[in-house]
Amino acid sequence: MPNKLERINDDALRLSLTDAQTSLRSGNFSDVVHRSSDAYVEMLRRDPELLKGPLGMRRIMFFPRLGARLVQEQDGTPTIIYDRETFIFSEAITYFEFAVDNLIKEGL
Amino acid sequence: MKFGLFYEHQLPKPYGKDQWDPDQEHKLLKNALDQVELADSLGFDYVFEVEHHFLEEYSHSSAPEIFLAAASQRTKNIRLGHGIALMPPRYNHPARVAERIATLDLVSDGRVEFGTGESASEMEMGGFGVRREEKKMMWEEATRECVKMMTEAPYSGVEGAYVGMPSRNVIPKPLQKPHPPLWVASSRRETTMVAARLGMGSLGFAFETPDEAEERVANYFQLVKDECFPIGKAVNPALAVLSVLSCFDSDEEAIDKGMEGAQFFAYSLGYYYNPFTGGNHKPGEMNIYSKFIDTPPEQRWGPLGEGFRGFGGFQGAAVTEEPKDEVTRALWRAAQRGGCIGTPDFITDTLRKYEAAHLDLMIFVAQCGARKHEDVMDSIYRTGVKVIPEFKERHEQHQRWRGEQLEGLEYPVNSSI
Repeated sequence: MPNKLERINDDALRLSLTDAQTSLRSGNFSDVVHRSSDAYVEMLRRDPELLKGPLGMRRIMFFPRLGARLVQEQDGTPTIIYDRETFIFSEAITYFEFAVDNLIKEGL
Repeated sequence: MKFGLFYEHQLPKPYGKDQWDPDQEHKLLKNALDQVELADSLGFDYVFEVEHHFLEEYSHSSAPEIFLAAASQRTKNIRLGHGIALMPPRYNHPARVAERIATLDLVSDGRVEFGTGESASEMEMGGFGVRREEKKMMWEEATRECVKMMTEAPYSGVEGAYVGMPSRNVIPKPLQKPHPPLWVASSRRETTMVAARLGMGSLGFAFETPDEAEERVANYFQLVKDECFPIGKAVNPALAVLSVLSCFDSDEEAIDKGMEGAQFFAYSLGYYYNPFTGGNHKPGEMNIYSKFIDTPPEQRWGPLGEGFRGFGGFQGAAVTEEPKDEVTRALWRAAQRGGCIGTPDFITDTLRKYEAAHLDLMIFVAQCGARKHEDVMDSIYRTGVKVIPEFKERHEQHQRWRGEQLEGLEYPVNSSI
């Protein structure tokens, strides 16, 4: 089975998440959470259809809420709010895997 | 592949009534002990019991260590799993968890599986003052310290963000060395990969299809081997998933006796775990079962809507072409979602797909909703006699496959698979 990151087609997003993986291995967990969250939000911003209907609700609702939250501004734009800047290993993995899985699922 | 039973201790209120009948909780727990004893005698390998608080009707299992201790004295071989113990210190101080796990391990002659988790329902977190955004941090810190308490003599102490304790010798120590196998509840897909990187078994409460399981197994073992930083002193490479079980001699009977309970499981899970409305439950005042019964059958898979319909709620397989015949359609839906509702042959066919995906452990939800004790016993019996034996015969092949996957792993392995 190929490395999951290799299944992300978009060059910029794959590169960003590859950097996140490097940060995960080196213990820079805050960077992992930021890069992973940014990649997920970028996916939603590129295709506003992803936020419509029940599935759109799921895409907001199931974003991890472990110190970084996904909210929609009044005009519907998705954005991340950080409640803190320090994260631990398991939190970083959670954001990273969530972003990678969803980017692959949406074919990006 | 090995097999287990999973207990939430579901207890729907009688339809239309404000309260349970006086003896219902007593009967529920005594019946469950009978079921576990039967399962042990038939060769089931595991029983896992949840820890939940305040989730009326959905789970009356707030003290699993007591139930498992009782089970340990009525059984001989079945392994006794916390599925899971809540680790944020506001639920349980890690020293108390270490003491209870070790004591259970001693009285059961070393049969404990130490499942850990953090909870996700507003009713529980709010009740104990656990903040959602901190719960995983609490879990990781408390679990790490708890394992040290079981293995260090004396425990060196810690001044952490959530656990503060001076050096003490936490006793007794568990019989299994260095400690019982470690697991983490993986209700979210991402947590399986957390488990891999921390060297823990993944208790996948997310009801996967065989195809989903195959991909997850491959990713999991790759990470265990390449990117693991164990949280304990030994790793437990193991993947388990849950499936509803209703095993009878005809499909119609399996559906008749099992489908409503499965639907109630999903419905009540969605009721409490919906992040928008799960905290709106009025303690002591609601009758969830009545609401469920009054809901049209096609909407009973969960109050969150079509996208959440899969059993267990959140990971339903894509629904494309459903058979038109009612019985076939119900079976097809169950199979799509990993459900084991049908005849022994049907269930065996379903399980062979999981076996081919190299799943380690299938845990059955046999008791759920308002299912009758006699039906649960029948279903367990039929599964133990007609389904499990052929998988036991092939388990050595699976162990060889595991050995190949783990070749070169630099950490000690402590796994009961």
